[in-house]
Amino acid sequence: MKYVDEFRDPVLGEVLAGEILGLVEPGRHYKFMEVCGGHTHSIYKYGIDDLLPANVELVHGPGCPVCVIPMGRVDDGIALAHEPDVIFTCFGDMLRVPGSDGTLLDAKAQGADIRMVYSPLDALRIAKANPQRPVVFFAIGFETTAPSTALTLKRAKAEGVANFFCMCNHVTIVPPLRALLDSPDLRLDGFIGPGHVSTVVGVRPFEFIPAEYGKPISVAGFEPLDVLHAIHMILRQLKEGRCEVENQYARVVPYDGNPRALQVMSEVFELRPHFEWRGMGFISQSGLKLSEAYADMDAELRYEVPGIRVADPKACQCGEVLKGVIKPWECKVFGSGCTPERPIGTCMVSSEGACAAYYNYGRFAREREVV
Amino acid sequence: MKRLIADAASALAPTCDTTTSCITCGDVAIPLTVLRLDEERGLALCADDEGKSETVETAPVAPGDRLLVHAGTAIARLTEEASG
Repeated sequence: MKYVDEFRDPVLGEVLAGEILGLVEPGRHYKFMEVCGGHTHSIYKYGIDDLLPANVELVHGPGCPVCVIPMGRVDDGIALAHEPDVIFTCFGDMLRVPGSDGTLLDAKAQGADIRMVYSPLDALRIAKANPQRPVVFFAIGFETTAPSTALTLKRAKAEGVANFFCMCNHVTIVPPLRALLDSPDLRLDGFIGPGHVSTVVGVRPFEFIPAEYGKPISVAGFEPLDVLHAIHMILRQLKEGRCEVENQYARVVPYDGNPRALQVMSEVFELRPHFEWRGMGFISQSGLKLSEAYADMDAELRYEVPGIRVADPKACQCGEVLKGVIKPWECKVFGSGCTPERPIGTCMVSSEGACAAYYNYGRFAREREVV
Repeated sequence: MKRLIADAASALAPTCDTTTSCITCGDVAIPLTVLRLDEERGLALCADDEGKSETVETAPVAPGDRLLVHAGTAIARLTEEASG
């Protein structure tokens, strides 16, 4: 397939792996964080971990939009779904994320009208087909998904769809990265930057990482050769004593991002003073809400939501996994109490979550290693 | 009992294909080719390499253009040069 096959070439993969081996200094341990859940998924799916030297360690960052949603927000969504006549819409993985008293799927089983959609446009279509009922779209995602929600809200307003509302849980990528870099319990040597977020925001927002924290970063695509190439670029920077933002995904990511998407986002959203991230607590200016001009479509203003902060289950260590402090298998309940079929934590729910990716692709290799 | 009902709902509900990747929940975007345009509404009918089509929200494009699409919205236009 065009744009795909070229980046899955096993021969080139072997060449890159060999070059990576030549770039590492023996005796030095390298720890790189892939920010994006899509990268985590690719690393396990294609066995990229196995191609790297033993002293190059990949840790998984907070880039899965489902995994960072705290339980309290799930509870708020469930409360909205139980409002009279409401049709509640959200993406598929969100349905299985546990709140403090069950999931959205449990709420559906109890009679709430909850429907899975593939895009916000699908939710708007449902609103237009059911003009007598309020339709709430539970919006999640980073800057990759936020333009889609923004354009849909703009479209709903332009078409006079009065029964379409949004509970906005969109988050931004830079504040959590800064929080991670400020965290004393995490030592990183570099970052694999998020590819599709950067398609929208560009590469420029990541300049603070080398400038203020002295860490190299390479924005990367999602095919196996993309990820390997990004690791190669970071290692080469370290070897040559450079520290900068590089763009491995230049075939898609412009340096300044997508101006039209950024413009529509700034029109429809504004930054929240703070937003809670699962396992990371409240991070300043890291979440989006609807702007004043779109306040009449804000589900949180139309309905009363509990808004109660709920602590994560004690057994769950999603927070430490999201911060890259522990590996998925080091969590006490990984693969036993917490599986994709019966997740306790959000990292096991989403296919982009580190725990689910590791459970689906990596656990057998790990078991062999342990044996 | 509550668990059983939830399981039944789970079995009936449409779900993401978690064995590959959830394109909407994740940061995944897929390359599609523009087939037809509805310029007035800013929409395009696009198809993937296997011919599966979907409607996409997009800035002005032309039939034949390759777009990178996430959650029903084009986030980038791919160029021939970009294909490497």
